[in-house]
Amino acid sequence: MPALSPTMTEGNIATWRVKEGDSFVAGDVLLEIETDKAQMDVEAQDDGILAKIIQGDGSKSVQIGTRIAVTAEPGDDLSSLKTPAEDTPAPKEKRAEEPTKQASSQPLKESSSAPAAKSSPPSQTAGKGSAAKAQRQTYPLYPSVQRLLRENGLPKEEADKIPATGPNGRLLKGDVLAYIGRIEGSYSVEQSKRIGELAHLDLSNIKLAQPKKEVTLEELAAAPQTPPVAEGLDVEIAIPISLKAVMECQKRVQESIGVSLPFSTFIARATELANEDLPQSKSEKPSAEDLFNAVLGLDKVAGKKFSRGQFTPQVTALPPTSLRVTKPLTAKQPDILDILAGKTPAARSTKASLIRGAEKLVAPVNVFSVSAPKGDERRAQVFLERVKSALEAEPGRLVV
Amino acid sequence: MFRPVVPRAAPRSLLGPATAAQSTFRASNIYFQDRLRRGYASEAEEKDLVIIGGGVAGYVAAIKAGQSGLKVACIEKRGSLGGTCLNVGCIPSKSLLNNSHLYHQILHDTKNRGIEVGDVKLNLQTMMKAKETSVSGLTKGIEFLFKKNNVEYIKGTGAFQDENTVAVNLIDGGETSVRGKNIFIATGSEATPFPGLTIDEKKVITSTGAIALQQVPKKMVVIGGGIIGLEMGSVWSRLGAEVTVVEFLGQIGGPGMDAEIAKMTQKMLAKQGMKFKLNTKVTKGDDSGESVKINTEAAKGGKEEILDADVVLVAIGRRPYTAGLGLDNIGLETDEKGRLVIDQEYRTKIPHIRVIGDVTFGPMLAHKAEEEGVAAVEYLTKGYGHVNYGAIPSVMYTHPEVAWVGQNEQELKAAGVKYRVGSFPFSANSRAKTNLDTEGIVKFISDANTDRILGVHIVGPNAGEMIAEGTLALEYGASSEDVARTSHAHPTLSEAFKEAAMATYDKAIHY
Ligand SMILES: Cc1cc2nc3c(=O)[nH]c(=O)nc-3n(C[C@H](O)[C@H](O)[C@H](O)COP(=O)(O)OP(=O)(O)OC[C@H]3O[C@@H](n4cnc5c(N)ncnc54)[C@H](O)[C@@H]3O)c2cc1C
Repeated sequence: MPALSPTMTEGNIATWRVKEGDSFVAGDVLLEIETDKAQMDVEAQDDGILAKIIQGDGSKSVQIGTRIAVTAEPGDDLSSLKTPAEDTPAPKEKRAEEPTKQASSQPLKESSSAPAAKSSPPSQTAGKGSAAKAQRQTYPLYPSVQRLLRENGLPKEEADKIPATGPNGRLLKGDVLAYIGRIEGSYSVEQSKRIGELAHLDLSNIKLAQPKKEVTLEELAAAPQTPPVAEGLDVEIAIPISLKAVMECQKRVQESIGVSLPFSTFIARATELANEDLPQSKSEKPSAEDLFNAVLGLDKVAGKKFSRGQFTPQVTALPPTSLRVTKPLTAKQPDILDILAGKTPAARSTKASLIRGAEKLVAPVNVFSVSAPKGDERRAQVFLERVKSALEAEPGRLVV
Repeated sequence: MFRPVVPRAAPRSLLGPATAAQSTFRASNIYFQDRLRRGYASEAEEKDLVIIGGGVAGYVAAIKAGQSGLKVACIEKRGSLGGTCLNVGCIPSKSLLNNSHLYHQILHDTKNRGIEVGDVKLNLQTMMKAKETSVSGLTKGIEFLFKKNNVEYIKGTGAFQDENTVAVNLIDGGETSVRGKNIFIATGSEATPFPGLTIDEKKVITSTGAIALQQVPKKMVVIGGGIIGLEMGSVWSRLGAEVTVVEFLGQIGGPGMDAEIAKMTQKMLAKQGMKFKLNTKVTKGDDSGESVKINTEAAKGGKEEILDADVVLVAIGRRPYTAGLGLDNIGLETDEKGRLVIDQEYRTKIPHIRVIGDVTFGPMLAHKAEEEGVAAVEYLTKGYGHVNYGAIPSVMYTHPEVAWVGQNEQELKAAGVKYRVGSFPFSANSRAKTNLDTEGIVKFISDANTDRILGVHIVGPNAGEMIAEGTLALEYGASSEDVARTSHAHPTLSEAFKEAAMATYDKAIHY
């Protein structure tokens, strides 16, 4: 049974498309195999005759590597063939096998994995297990291999008996050197293993990023601050949020139970949820416990630096044309003119104004903004991003 | 915590098939019905595959998927396809490298070849236009390939709404969403900023500014002597800038470049006029004045020096880009460097979401991204994909070029492998001699016992083309003898490759 994918362990035989005794040419579909994932055609890699079917139509759960049929070379006399004994199935190290014309007069071979040469991972080196396996070398031999065989008086056929460690079971110079005893036998195997490992991404020892909020908080504290405006001035943070999903949800609720839910309900719920466990405010004085934890280094542990926020977003409808949003977040510095004119920065909104504002919404996308004390931009951003995902993702969840 | 509000969607087992083979993409009906019943119907059409990012990884995967008969959409926010590589990376940089080399050669190297050229003048604007022509031709070509292969191209910024839905903020206004049974993240990378310097792409630039400068700076400081820094440094040095490269490590070219090759390369570039400060770290920069001031100090502490430049190129590396992607909405993790965490088949912990290209592990190279694009689609359609990370070539397109594949001497020493080295200089190669372009060597490293090729390292003319042969040799597990016994045309530069192989297992003929 050939492995048609790296994860396949067994398969069912749907139908044989070639009958016992029939000959086939490379590319003919020999049989159909079913796995839990797919049904696939198995094609012949070379010309030959189907000498004997061992696992017939409808055979279930045939393990990889189990012999399913015996094939012979084109022109062989089937009546004089003897079937070689079956190897114990070794799923990982199946013989990628091809019609074999052995030097002996028994041109018979097992077809347990006829198509395997095609579908087995090239990175799979014979060295993966304990030792390499010899196999019939179907490609032209490498120049170095040919030379070594000749120089050491080995016939070409001997190549098929030499354990091969190259990609896809190819016979390498080192394999011949090991075979003739010039280097240690296990060396090539070890080498193939080492090189085989380089073929894969090294995904060992992945160090996961700390929960995002915390890292960015620290970065923010570490990064040189932009030249401070006046101390204590608020910064306005704004983010566009689509209310399309909310509108759709409203419509559905209206249609199904005839109740009209105002926008304000959605926004108030989203606000409430988004205020939970925000990254701690810069202006909050650390508690004695926090300081103690910091001494112990425990403040690096996730889930410590959070507190409930008090944000209420201000909502402004956006005309649909200004929708070009590549950077979702913009931190606006307060307008210097406003400061000079003694105006307090806008957006210190109250719940009442929010709700009033919200009812007027018509545009599908709106800018939600909050003002935050300098240094708390991150906290405000996190808040807004949460409001955004709550309103855009599945607003239905907010009102059930 | 906030998490529970974010829809956790249906149990994973109900999601569409993650690794169906061949054409067995069934509708993931159970999940969808479930949503309908609960009244969360989305009018978005469901695709077999949605790809976020139309860079090399994303567009190649999209085309491959289209060819395999999948219903596929690719979301790109840039306004043109091809990503970093085609728009602001490989392609524009190579255009400038080629043309600045021609200019430099005409200026300094044609007279002794018997070609006398009158007044040589640089028209930077036209040179930039030539670059843009190359770029737009290629990006439009990909758009055509999308059409040809039935890939839906969605122009906008994608963000995860849930595990199967991507919301798209369209470039032309408005928004839409698209559902996918499978989703690939291919959002690429961005230049890592240098703390304390504000990138304005005019005075303080990344590679993106470096391919678009309006005039040749008088003095340019390059922070970081890796491939991108040296390539862009070369361009402006050839066009007349005084370029100083500051590198923290003791060698240029980054850790993959063989130390011996790096040293030789540095000498060649220095001869062309670039200055190098190795083992030197930039402690801070000041971009408030007319020029930019860069404070440096010996990496091991000590001597401080202030460099002054009109333009500072920050080329200290690139980092994965996932901003605005809504990873939090689906709980996907990145590692410390921001790389999305995957398994060997590019799957995240949500198995129908895969990640390819710069935004995940492995070298940040276009051809690596491309291989992964194909392999990831094949994992979907065939259950098996092939990328050999041990045989991915690297090329630096300076003059001469530097190219390598496999392991270098430092790495093999560290791994405790006994090896043999064979090299051959281009100064002994007939073609290089006829071309009067003889700087550099080809260097093979093969296993001391088996002669299996472990690495090939080249600095010299056309190294980038020549490395393909080394890569093929590695892929096939060849020995240096196998290469040496293969015929190479005469007179070509590739004979140097063959002779280096001969020198590795035996002796070179012409040296
Ligand atoms: C100056 C320079 C020179 C280079 N030269 C070479 C070279 O010579 N050879 C080489 O092999 N490599 C080179 N590289 C590296 C190469 O460009 C990258 O390895 C390659 O582009 C990675 O492809 P990618 O598809 O992973 O990512 P990218 O090419 O970065 O593509 C990602 C795309 O995703 C888009 N995107 C991101 N987020 C979203 C979103 N939320 N929604 C929609 N779209 C999104 C981005 O706009 C981008 O277009 C160079 C890089 C630079 C900067």
